Amino acid sequence: MTTSSAISRSPFLNYTKTIEDENLALLYLRRDIQIPIILNAQDRDDEGYHEGKVANTRFGSFPHSTLIGVRWGSQIRASTVDTGSRGRGKRNQKRKLEDEAQDSDVTKVPVRADSGFAHLIPPTPENWTTSLPHRTQVVYTHDSSYILQRLRARPGTIIIEAGAGSGSFTHAACRAVYGHGGKVLSFEFHQPRYEKLQAELQAHKLDDLVELRHRDVCQDGFEGSDHKANAVFLDLPAPWLALKHLTRPGPLARDKAVRICTFSPCIEQVQRTVGDMRNLGWVDIEMVEITARRFEVRRDRVGHQEEGLKGVNSNAASVDEAVSRLAEIQKRMIHGDDEERVTKQCRLAKIKEAQTGRKLHIEGYLTHRSEIEAKLHTSYLVFAILPMEWSEDDEVKAQNQVIPDPKKEKGKKQIRRELRAKDEANGNAE
Amino acid sequence: MDELIRSGSYVALQLPSELLKVVEIQPNITISLGKFGAFQTNNLIGRPFHVTYEIVDKPSRDGGSNLRPVPAAELHELGIGDTTTPDEAVIGNDGVDFEVVDTEGKVVMRTNQFINEDGANQILTLEDIEALKKADNSAGKDVIAKILESHTSLDKKTAFSLAKYTLRKSRKYMKRFTVLPIDVPVIVKWVMDGKDAPRIMEMREETLSLVTSWSNVHWGGAHGNESCNGLGQTDHNRWLVVDEISGLLVAAMAEQMGILHSRPRDSMSLSEDVLRNVAATEINGISESHEESGRTKESDPIRIQQARIHRQELFMSGTTNTITLVHQNAQPNLSLLTYFGYNTSDPDMNHPLYTNLKEISFLQLLHPEEDYGYLEPAESTPEQLKEMKSRQKSAYYRKRRRWQRTKAIVEETRAGGFAGLAVASAMTPASILHTLVPLLRGGAQIVVYSPTVEPLTEIVDCYSKARRSAFALAENPVVPCEEYPVDPRLLIGVSLHTARSRPWQVLPGRTHPKMSGRGGSEGYVFVGTKVYPAEGTIEARGFRKRRKLDVSTNGTQHGSPALQSELPHTESQSEVDMEVDKEVVSLIDNAQSTVGD
Repeated sequence: MTTSSAISRSPFLNYTKTIEDENLALLYLRRDIQIPIILNAQDRDDEGYHEGKVANTRFGSFPHSTLIGVRWGSQIRASTVDTGSRGRGKRNQKRKLEDEAQDSDVTKVPVRADSGFAHLIPPTPENWTTSLPHRTQVVYTHDSSYILQRLRARPGTIIIEAGAGSGSFTHAACRAVYGHGGKVLSFEFHQPRYEKLQAELQAHKLDDLVELRHRDVCQDGFEGSDHKANAVFLDLPAPWLALKHLTRPGPLARDKAVRICTFSPCIEQVQRTVGDMRNLGWVDIEMVEITARRFEVRRDRVGHQEEGLKGVNSNAASVDEAVSRLAEIQKRMIHGDDEERVTKQCRLAKIKEAQTGRKLHIEGYLTHRSEIEAKLHTSYLVFAILPMEWSEDDEVKAQNQVIPDPKKEKGKKQIRRELRAKDEANGNAE
Repeated sequence: MDELIRSGSYVALQLPSELLKVVEIQPNITISLGKFGAFQTNNLIGRPFHVTYEIVDKPSRDGGSNLRPVPAAELHELGIGDTTTPDEAVIGNDGVDFEVVDTEGKVVMRTNQFINEDGANQILTLEDIEALKKADNSAGKDVIAKILESHTSLDKKTAFSLAKYTLRKSRKYMKRFTVLPIDVPVIVKWVMDGKDAPRIMEMREETLSLVTSWSNVHWGGAHGNESCNGLGQTDHNRWLVVDEISGLLVAAMAEQMGILHSRPRDSMSLSEDVLRNVAATEINGISESHEESGRTKESDPIRIQQARIHRQELFMSGTTNTITLVHQNAQPNLSLLTYFGYNTSDPDMNHPLYTNLKEISFLQLLHPEEDYGYLEPAESTPEQLKEMKSRQKSAYYRKRRRWQRTKAIVEETRAGGFAGLAVASAMTPASILHTLVPLLRGGAQIVVYSPTVEPLTEIVDCYSKARRSAFALAENPVVPCEEYPVDPRLLIGVSLHTARSRPWQVLPGRTHPKMSGRGGSEGYVFVGTKVYPAEGTIEARGFRKRRKLDVSTNGTQHGSPALQSELPHTESQSEVDMEVDKEVVSLIDNAQSTVGD
């Protein structure tokens, strides 16, 4: 396989020691805010910043010149960038003036800002899934990882994907099949989505791994590639209409078992798909649903010492604490107010003061709970297998095969013994 | 992986009960499936996988096959019963009078109102069935037909229960099996369905897929020719693994890297980069092998190298697409790799793992000087060597080679630069991460599997925002200590996941989730990304909701709980009228202590 030795240029697959110009990187601000940027030293779009191309975020501005050439995973400081005086009209005027003043427009060296930072991390199919521009419902990591595992997508697999949608599954599939000649044969019937994904794959340098076609596979089938698939993923509104095109000869590999997965949100879609799969000779048909949860871990602090503080429970932490507080109040009622009584304000001030000395990061119960936005259902996954084609001729050949009997062959140990003897003989001869 | 059943390999046989049985397909032997019958392995060798066979007879002496491949249509008959589509099927609409009827008198479905299941309905006795089974030569179909015939109230059964009854009897008496190739998901299913789940820490198939994908493990290119394509900067694809689940994690990672299933010898037996690497060390004179075998100089360098490299020198010598296994005992337990043709006690040098799986103990990693294998064995002078007997001599070289191998692995592991870390271990996650995270390159993914959530909530908490803030403000914090078991600045994007698959039965008119499944532990996955903190002081920035000033400002410590595991940016919602948090991060210069730096 000639392709097996070629190293992909994609930042998803090929890790360079430092961050290179023209590559995709993620500006990590927070777990739910990761901004994909294509690094651009030249500022081709000429956005008018003095520092050249700049990524502006709510946590500061990051000129690309401060990002290119650093090592992956670096914490990057924000720079002071004049974002205000860049009005369109003003800019053009200004530029005209500047052009006259200094033709060799030198970009300004960025000045470090007082605050703000981000981490620059390499793209992965997982962080791309959470940060990609949504064009359709995306296939989330818990689904795509399970699907790719069930499809046995691994280096060398040829996988058909229809439709490509936002490209989330495309990226995960690329990583899985990369190497030993693996390819993704991708189909998308929506023209604008097809164009956007094509541009994205080029920008991500995955275009040599993905054959993307603009086509409605339900009508026009999967033909056109030199590669024959042994895995199929159908994320289509009516997957059963596409099944009849998955044939041998045709897009499927003749000499391999083919695994399929269809991805449909409704049970009716599943029933039609499964019915048609049965008629078309697919076996081992199974339907599963994946539910996934992400947890939030936090320390829950309870007790009177938390009174007035935020995000905590200032009720009594124990019966003892409750009783002592009650007793205190009852005592006052019995004996009347005296000057020893601590006002609430005073108490709160004390609590606040005490807080600085506390190690809040290791106090309280360590708890976990599902994150608020739970995905209860994404889609039903139907899996099936089409065993490799096996003709009567093949069977006759197999029946007539001579099966070597290891008992009559030399054992491993014997071979080794002989080799060692030979080695030693050579050693002695020297 | 091969598409045909190969002599000498392991396969999984899926029985009608849906249980798996893993067997080794040695030629010329008979494999017995107990009550389902027996067959000759020669009738499977060279045939494709995923075919379901019926055992139609006793295995014949002349080697003729007693296996009949069952066509797909026949397989599907079993569950469906009849071929009506769900739209047409009015359930139980056959004129029987005990039915659920809707308001317009239309039959909705039959009920079990008049069925008494007391076991007396089946007139066949156990002995009768045994006799039938003995006389049977229709792969169990006749037995099942007789059993159904002899059920007195069969006609009263609803369509549901009839299909269920047929299916249940079929699973019990059908003499069928399907041949599946061994791969990681099949092994997981086999171990989990058996009694051996603790052996793999109850790792579910769906959890394992989370582990491999979040780890970002993949094939990393063959680096022998990296200078040719102008990618000189490319880093090698080396992975760190802590596997206490009998080699399952190693197998899963290797499968994703394309180094688990041995390929036909001609194409994959020895990767070029390995050969180049060995060749380079030989030229540098580090290797002793030239004395033994390096004599010939011929035109084709690769082939010559291949001929003269000693198998011991190839062992664990890969430079890219490698897995470095860090283990807690003198020898790691990798018993499950046997099913993939890699037996650690007698490794096959043609298996990709022979070169690409490296082993190092925690002692060798942290205190190599205390490890016997790291001590250099005495070197003999050429004169001494001449006087040695051949056996002594080969023992001498074997020892030297083993030492060189250990030394090389220790050094390259301590040098770091790993692409990622995957852990499935009962050891405290913090102790593992403290030791191994510094060995990862920036942007590397870290995944830790645990069957239970508690160890993982602890490690997530070690990287919490509150912990990070306190660490930044602490004066010369020492890592590890009780307060900071790990350096909290080295990971971002820390999160905790779980996934669960729910299988369904999809049959016309009878679609519903399966009634039972496996309980036990849920299985959780910790995920994080390795980063390098900047030197010096950094203040975070963030926009705040403007709030009234009546709330007490209470510093940086108690963030909104929902955000506590986040970065310092979102300090807390209780900040007052501040656009800039005065949180100070990282006063201490890059404290990537311990090994590696």
